Order: sequence, then C-alpha cells, then structure tokens
Amino acid sequence: MTNKQKDNGQRVPKRIKDVQSYMKKHLGTDVSFDIGYRQLVILEKNVCLYFVTGLCDSTIIQEIIKTLVETNDSESDTDAIGKVIENRLVHQQVEKADSMDEIVDQLLSGLIPVFVEGVPHAYILDIRNYPGRTPEEPDTERVVRGSRDGYTESIVENTALTRRRIRDERLRNEMMKIGERSKTDVCISYLQDVADDESVAWAKEKISKIDIDGIPMADKTIEEFFVDHKWNPYPLVRYTERPDVAAKHLLAGHLLLIIDTSPSIMILPTTFFDHMEHAEEFRQAPSIGTFIRWIRFLAVLASLYLLPLWLLFVIDPSLLPKELAFIGPNEEGNVPIIVQILLADIGVEFLRMAAIHTPTPLATAMGLIAAVMIGEIAVDVGLFSPEVILYVSISTIGSYVTPSYELSVANKIMKLMILILTAFFGAIGFSIGFVISIVSLVSFKAFKAPYLWPFIPFNYKAMVHNVLRVPIPYTNKRPSIVHPKDVYSQPNPETQKK
Amino acid sequence: MVEKTQNQEETITGSIILRRALQTGFIGGVFWGLMGKVMHYFNFTEISAKAYVLHSWTRSTWTFRWYSEIIVLLIIGVLSMVVAILYYAVLKKVNSLWVGMIYGGILWALIMLVVTPFYTMIPNLKELELKTIISTLSLFSLYGLFIGYSVSYDYAMFQKYNLQNKGDEPSEYTI
Repeated sequence: MTNKQKDNGQRVPKRIKDVQSYMKKHLGTDVSFDIGYRQLVILEKNVCLYFVTGLCDSTIIQEIIKTLVETNDSESDTDAIGKVIENRLVHQQVEKADSMDEIVDQLLSGLIPVFVEGVPHAYILDIRNYPGRTPEEPDTERVVRGSRDGYTESIVENTALTRRRIRDERLRNEMMKIGERSKTDVCISYLQDVADDESVAWAKEKISKIDIDGIPMADKTIEEFFVDHKWNPYPLVRYTERPDVAAKHLLAGHLLLIIDTSPSIMILPTTFFDHMEHAEEFRQAPSIGTFIRWIRFLAVLASLYLLPLWLLFVIDPSLLPKELAFIGPNEEGNVPIIVQILLADIGVEFLRMAAIHTPTPLATAMGLIAAVMIGEIAVDVGLFSPEVILYVSISTIGSYVTPSYELSVANKIMKLMILILTAFFGAIGFSIGFVISIVSLVSFKAFKAPYLWPFIPFNYKAMVHNVLRVPIPYTNKRPSIVHPKDVYSQPNPETQKK
Repeated sequence: MVEKTQNQEETITGSIILRRALQTGFIGGVFWGLMGKVMHYFNFTEISAKAYVLHSWTRSTWTFRWYSEIIVLLIIGVLSMVVAILYYAVLKKVNSLWVGMIYGGILWALIMLVVTPFYTMIPNLKELELKTIISTLSLFSLYGLFIGYSVSYDYAMFQKYNLQNKGDEPSEYTI
C-alpha cells in the first residue's frame, strides 16, 4: 500500500531502459516467470511490450509483433514513431496511458502495454483471454425445461449472459474494483428507471467502503461485508447461477452483484420467500407451479419442525389425540430418543459432507454404506429405533427440497435449537423454540426489507403471489419490497381504459 | 400543488392504511386462530377459542359439528379486525416488533384475567397447566407480532412515501 502511494505520480519514462528497471523493481520481471516481455527495434527505436502469459491470446500477440516488425520495411519516418506504432497496433481496443501504476494494473489484468522509446505514454491493448469454462447448466438449479446456460467464472461473460436476456438501454452494469491486492472486478447491475436509487447508492457505498487485501471467496466475502447480522445463519441475499432467474429479479427491481471469479450472482435485497422460489415453478403451468410450491413449503416446514414435534410426542404421548396415538416408538430403545436423533442427524451430516467431495466412482460405494450399514444395521444392533430413521430421513429430504442451499443449512441449525429446547422442556420448550424461530426471522432485515415479508409484516397482495404461482399476464406489478420507481411491469389496466 | 390541511392528510392515512390494517387483522385472526386450533388438537392447550366465542353463549348441537370450527375462525377474524384497529389507533407509530409482541401479551393477559372470570366453565389462570400458559402466551405474542408489526410497517412505509411524494396518496402497490 505504501509502495503504491509513493509511486502514484510516476509517469511513463521516455527511455525504455527506465521502463525496464521500473518493471524489474516493481513486478520482479526477472523473478516471476509469468510476466514476459518482448523487445523489438522498430525504425531504429526500442519498442517493448509486456504481457502476462496465460491471460492473453498469444496468437494475437504474434500478429501484432509481426505487423510492428513489418513497419521497418515500409516506413522511414523515425520522428513520428509514436503515430506509426499506434497505427500499426492492429486491434480494436487501444488506449493510451501515462501513469506507470495504472499500466501495471492493466498489465496484470491481462492487457498488454507497448512502450516506445521517446514516447511519454504507453499504448494498451485489450487482448485478454482468461482461462475459463463455457456456460453450462448449474448443478444446484436444474430444471426439466428451460435454458441450460449458467453463469461462469468470468464477469464479462456473466454480464453478457444477462444482457442477452435484457437488451434494455436502461440496464446499467457498473464496474467497480475491490481488493488492494486482488483488484477483483465487481459489477452492479440494475435497471436504471426501476431500481430504487437508495438501494443502488447503498450498495455502491458498501462496496467502496470495503478495504481488504483480496476476496478469493468472492461473493460470500462481499455478502459478509453487506449484511448487518454477521452471525445469523440465514442467507440475506439470494444466489443464483441461472441467468434467467437473475434477469427475472432484475426486471422485478432487484440489484445484481456480479463478482469476477464466481459463477454465483448475488441478488439483493431478498426475503425469505425469494429463497423458496425455483425456476421450475415458472416453467410449468401456474396450477402445477402452485402445487409444486405448496409441496415445497410443506417440505421446508417438515425440515424445520417435524423432528422436534415428533420428539415432543415421544416425550409426552399425552399430547397426541386418540387417532394419532400410534405415533411414537413401540418399545423403549437402549438409547434416549434425543440422543438417537442427534446421532442420526450428525450421521446424515457426515454423509452429506462426504458426498460433496467424494469422487463419482466412490459415490456408489458410499451410497451402499449409507443405506445398508447406517440404516439397517443401526436398527438391528439396537442403536436406533426405526421411527427415528424415518423422521430423520423425512426432515433431511425436506432440507434437500429447499431450493436455496444456504437456507436449508440455516434451517438445520434452527431445527437443532428447537430439538434441544424440546428435549429439555417438552411442550414449553417447543412453543418457545417456535416463537424464537419466527421472531428471529422477522427481526432480520436485508437492507430495508424485513426478512419474512410479506408474511410478517403482512402484505395481502404480495402474499397471494407467494402462495400461488400467479399466471404471468396477471402479475403486472413489481413487488413493493424493492421500492421500484416504476411499479408496473406490464401496462396498468386502469390507465389503459381511459 | 394545493396546500393540504392536517385534516385532509389524516383522511388519506385513514383510507389506505386502515383498510390494510383491517385486512391484516382478519387474515391474522383466521391464520393464528387456525394455529390455535392445531395446538388445541395436539393438546398443547386445554382451552380453545371455541370455548370463548361459541360455547360461552350456546351449546347447541351444531357447535360440535365440523363447520363450527370455520365459524369460530371467522368470528376470531372479525374480532381481530377490532384488535388491529385498536393497535392502529394507539401504537401505529411505533415501528418495532417487540411492541407487537407485548401487545399480544397484553391481549392474552386481558383475556385470561378479565374475560375468563366471567365464564365459569372456562378454567381460570390458576387452574391451567404451565404448558397451556406458555403455549397460549407464545401464540398470542406471535399473533400480536403479526398484527402490530404489519400495521406499524405499513404506516412507516406510508409516512416515507408521503415525505418523498409530498402528500400524494400512494396506490395499493407502492407500499
């Protein structure tokens, strides 16, 4: 940091030798192998270009060197060398820069600066070509129908994928930089005439205030700088790897944060119910979408409250009405039920974590171990009662049904809390746990948006849109929670009548 | 723009936010009434809303049919509209979720200490199990949170809209 401030005013030296010694001192061109340079003699003047191997297209570099060298055969005006070189840099993006600091930044992002003896600025060519993959369907958000492209690690490709869906002149992609050392590109996307100015200003201010070395964990780190409740397990921003989902939110008036090196796009502000949404609903008939949504609500509720409720019925069977008296283990197990549940839950966590980084060939073996060993044999041995396995499984499947991975993990923490309260205090513990789970959700705020909106605070119209998957022709309003400047996303039927 | 008098602004506030409060009250009543019914079904509480709103004045056979439950929910919904108006009248300016919860707690205390003694067949606070007390108190605090926080939030949003748009009436969708 101090280095940078000292050299801030350093201009491009006229002599190539000085440029080279600057580069040697600051970039360690003699130590680092990935920063290369090529010196040429053009019209009896030294010309030097720097590049970072791997970040730029070497065929284009060769093409440029070739045309530069050919100058020697056809030109003879050594005084106008700067003009001649600029003309001969055959590329559409050529800029001049005269601050060494800026040039180094550009060089390290994959651009190539060309220095010419006696010229007080460098020509910078944007020929960067980052290593990366082509868009493919994101694993976590698969759909039966619908587009199969997903965001990649390149910010430019990501903004392009969004732009392909919204060719609006009012779509703004504002680029900023984070990280003193990493200099990561961050892009805020929003519809200029829809998104709330206050939110945009807030996001920009938050970003400009981040002063950190680097953000290798990209979006997650940014999120931690953004949210106020830093220890809260619940996700206050929504991630997506699907450009169609991102475009839908943009049109609804949300902001997108695209961070270079991460395929997960941040959508903000988001509420609990945004996390319950899945692209699949919008790819099916509205009635089917509604059905899917209800089943999903049920699954998420089960993942939160089913296990504690069942534990409560085991502890206190008098709570059960006559019709449901069969619930609960028939015989007393060897291990207390709460211990069984916790063990089984931890076992499921073992499996889940193992599954994430198990290579595919081993996954089958792991599945076998999971199903046969842990399920069957734990029951046979007398460690678990079969009902524990049943309810733990339902609650686990429920958490897998949750569309947002972050939300499912947060729900798991909440479930554990309610479980332990229930184990200690029975019905009283369950009631209090239930209240805590709701109140903590209500108390969170994603910027201005109460987290459990539109349930608490209640908003009838918005709630209908969350409970039902309303046909798109009938949803001509943007959600008020993002405070859109333009409320209507389709013509207002009332003004049309007039 | 015509200068609006204090009185006129009040009527604007009255129309949209009050309508919203009534809506919230009714749906809140039905929803949390349903939760109460579920709690009663699973014996979290010995006393049910039915005992208050139906069995306190009639014990005809129809009150034991299934549809009586729906009537109970509707009655609670209507009563909750009163609860919401009361909150609106007194506390709408306090935009805090704790106030809503406390409001729910006060309602609970009113019902337990003031209303219950009038009916001999409903057990008194002293006769109730601890789990009934805690679970009904939880239910009421969430119910109060639902109504109170919604009304306060709507009012705060309305105020903000008014400030930004110089007293224009917001449409149903802008807040």
